[in-house]
Amino acid sequence: MIKAMTFPPFLVVLLLALSTGPLCDAIWLNIPKTGTKCVSEEIHSNVVVLSDYVVVSVEDGQTATIAVKVTSPYGNNLHHRENVTYGRFAFTTEEAGNYLACFWSDNRTRGSGEVVVNIDWKTGIAAKDWESVARKEKLQGVELELRKLEGAVEAIHENLLYLKSREAEMRSTSETTNARVAWFSIMSLGICIVVSGLQVWYLKRFFQKKKLI
Amino acid sequence: MESKWRKIWGLIGLLLLNFVNNVSSLSLTITKVDCVYEIVRSEGDIVSGNFVVVDHHIFWSSDHPGIDFSITSPGGDILHNLKGTSGDKFSFKAPRSGLYQFCFHNPLSTPETIAFYIHIGHIPNEHNLAKNEHLDPINVKIAELREALEAVTTEQKYLKARDAVHRRTNESTKTRVIGYTVGQYILLTIASVLQIVYIRRLFSKSVGYNRI
Repeated sequence: MIKAMTFPPFLVVLLLALSTGPLCDAIWLNIPKTGTKCVSEEIHSNVVVLSDYVVVSVEDGQTATIAVKVTSPYGNNLHHRENVTYGRFAFTTEEAGNYLACFWSDNRTRGSGEVVVNIDWKTGIAAKDWESVARKEKLQGVELELRKLEGAVEAIHENLLYLKSREAEMRSTSETTNARVAWFSIMSLGICIVVSGLQVWYLKRFFQKKKLI
Repeated sequence: MESKWRKIWGLIGLLLLNFVNNVSSLSLTITKVDCVYEIVRSEGDIVSGNFVVVDHHIFWSSDHPGIDFSITSPGGDILHNLKGTSGDKFSFKAPRSGLYQFCFHNPLSTPETIAFYIHIGHIPNEHNLAKNEHLDPINVKIAELREALEAVTTEQKYLKARDAVHRRTNESTKTRVIGYTVGQYILLTIASVLQIVYIRRLFSKSVGYNRI
């Protein structure tokens, strides 16, 4: 259970205001007093990532502060903030891999409880800015909703193609591993025979030199 | 008249924005117990999701006790309790609105990475239609369509996570096959060379072969 946490009125208003926009239904995470809490996602290249984070726990009338660091799979620092209570970061992925967002609580918070952070993490189609699409193509109401559904279907299609290609890769890996197991076992039998043959030949030569046989 | 309809459509559009509920699938590394919380806005929303334990290979033994997973409602009752799983799907109708807790518990001391995805779907139902004349039945149908698409997306996230686990196992098998076989050859050669050296020493004059 979340301990030592109260909701000040301004935070309720802020959450309600933000809830009418895309910030609804984010997850809440517990940041421990010491150590970092990291969330990661494996994303392929050329995908838009949009994320907002807000600290929701309040102790002694003060909102606790956290530090955030977002790194790309190659180690580049994409977003780094210290001593903040809310923030947002957005980037387009350049390389495919594991993107890591780490949160830790700043030492300045004097409370003994844990900090709770509201993280809204959106990638790909969920991060699309529908307002600008609506303005550009002059859609509204039901047309806009149908356009969003079309976007969702396209995303599903892309995901399926991605899964198919991954499965093909894995199948080829499995088949090469299968072939390798067979070859290496036969080769090990061959090496065993060759090595023991060499041993016998060498020992025979040795004993003949020593005039024992 | 035209502008009035435009305003109504605009309002409906804005209202529908509230029903876009989505969260991307995230991976979390848990050590002992870790919980993720989600707010369910209205009672009757369908909460669906899945989780997969990503790095699940212990070196020597292949049976890890698995991860315990539990879902707690805001009232404190445990809605779902799974013990010793390596991944599962769940779906339930929220009995009340509020903060729901999704907890993962790791019985062993090695940290495990878990990829999870939680989706909360809300469909404006007939009750809301009666209350709010601006809501057209077509919006209910569109919301149902959207929820169906979200169900497909949820399933895809699950398949993607399972595929990632399978790929890890495969690549580990590939490197193990090569590594252990080459190691085996080298050890075999070294063992036989040592055998020869030992036999030579046994028969060498300085040790005194008369004893043999």
